[in-house]
Amino acid sequence: MLFRLENLSHQYSDGTLALDDVSLSFAAGERIALLGTNGSGKTTLLHHLNGILQPTSGKVYFEDKPLKYNSKSLLDLRKRVGFIFQDPNDQLFAPTVKQDVAFGPLNLGQPPDQVKKAVDEALTTVGMAEYAEKPPHFLSLGQKKRVALAGVLAMQPEVLIMDEPTSNLDPRATSEILHLLLRLNKESKITLLLATHDVDMVPLFANKLYILNKGKLVSEGSPAEMFSDAEMIRSVNLRAPRIAHLFEVLKKEDNLPIDKQLPLTIGDARKEILRLLSSQKTSKPEATSKRRNPAA
Amino acid sequence: MREEKYLLVKTKQLFRGRRRPLSHVNLSSEIDRYAYTNALSKSSPATKLFLAISLLLISVTSPTPVVPIIVFLTSSTLILYSAKIPYRFYLKLLWYPIIIIAITCVIIALFFGYQEPLTEINLLGLRWAVFKDGITLGINIFFRVAGGLSTQFFLVLTTPMTSILLIIRKARVPTVLIETSLLVYRYIFVFIEVMETMHTAQELRLGYSGWLKKIRSTSLLLGNLFIRTLEQGERTFTAMNARGYDGNIRVLEDLPKPSKTALAGITLFAVTLAVTAYLTMNMGVV
Repeated sequence: MLFRLENLSHQYSDGTLALDDVSLSFAAGERIALLGTNGSGKTTLLHHLNGILQPTSGKVYFEDKPLKYNSKSLLDLRKRVGFIFQDPNDQLFAPTVKQDVAFGPLNLGQPPDQVKKAVDEALTTVGMAEYAEKPPHFLSLGQKKRVALAGVLAMQPEVLIMDEPTSNLDPRATSEILHLLLRLNKESKITLLLATHDVDMVPLFANKLYILNKGKLVSEGSPAEMFSDAEMIRSVNLRAPRIAHLFEVLKKEDNLPIDKQLPLTIGDARKEILRLLSSQKTSKPEATSKRRNPAA
Repeated sequence: MREEKYLLVKTKQLFRGRRRPLSHVNLSSEIDRYAYTNALSKSSPATKLFLAISLLLISVTSPTPVVPIIVFLTSSTLILYSAKIPYRFYLKLLWYPIIIIAITCVIIALFFGYQEPLTEINLLGLRWAVFKDGITLGINIFFRVAGGLSTQFFLVLTTPMTSILLIIRKARVPTVLIETSLLVYRYIFVFIEVMETMHTAQELRLGYSGWLKKIRSTSLLLGNLFIRTLEQGERTFTAMNARGYDGNIRVLEDLPKPSKTALAGITLFAVTLAVTAYLTMNMGVV
């Protein structure tokens, strides 16, 4: 297992118990979404994986070794585990895009030529190469998010941890970021872990889903499994994706013979609709022909 | 009723963009924008810095207005024709400081000096002498400052702040100063945005519709902004740590190299100006 959390709890100094006895683990190459409402402990959990926060009790294991919190071990960890913050303004501190992306590789002690190459590559990957000399305040939010991503990619991490990577983005920027992430996962085998409450986005992205509520891990499994459990999803103040909701209504109210597992994405829905149509054709040929000739 | 009308007018103004809130702040972001987009932005910042500083020194030490006028015309030509800054914007920039200097220099001309009284004014029984050297001083200072000002406008309008900082870093200015300035430069724009948003939000809820409200809203805005800066500092520090920050901000150095011909040309020009200044030293102004 790449990461393993064992009975992790975190209490902030004001007394809030942000994480309560969370245990989970995941392997390299997975695409994981951490789903929960605002204040459910997603960000706190993510911060533990990068050593930003230390657990009040419990342990974090990276490649089956417990995390150590001295600066040397943290540097080693952060070299391999990249973290992207929700607000790119927190992360983009350097006066130009290029300088910001170069910050990580320079901290890893790479020689200037290699750093330049890494910066160019990372900016090309996120499609921001032409903005290299611009200061961050000239960029739109979507562009800033992509630069923040480049700043982490330039360090060539094996794991990417993202806090709400698509929040506040327009539909196009959202889909661009998602496709970029999926490509990174497929081509560079980067393990992805993101926190979100965008339930419509999750099935497009994740192969595994953790559901957090009030600091507790409520459930885990594939998106299809999780969203089929409508009761659980509602109990944690989330909802199923719109498409799943539509099919749930069609099944319950209109008694359509829909599969037990509700479709979550447009692709799934299309397949399901085509299946329903074709089964209708084969099962009731007379009914359809009658309807086609009302005059007869 | 009055308040409703006020809100309506304000909202209209805001959305039409006729009245831009905090216009002085916008002016400095506009300078910054030109620094990155002007026609000279790609040329070596070291050359531009060298030109600006040598002309500044010659201008402010010149004993007569001749050399400062040449300096002023040179930098203005560079700003308008080489860097292609719109002349309206340049005039807007020049306008305020020139007015201030002009007033100051009139005062200097009237109150300073002790040789050769030029005229005497009788002011309510008080005799007030205006001296020749006072007037010379006033005129000289006006042109020196105007010349110097134009060189500095040339620098800020053509050279991004970051490049300037990276060059003075090479001149062994303490890294703490440079790093702080780089961070200040970056986050100033973040907080301008925050401030503008808060200001608009207050204005739309009638926060500036009266004297007392204005004072109250401004103090609330500043207090809030201060807390925001502290929080932002905390978050940025965390984010920097997550990318392996160890107390030193390392910078990738790849500024365009200064061309030797350009540097030699500037030196030659500067020397010529210095000689001109020396030769015109005894020229009378008044």
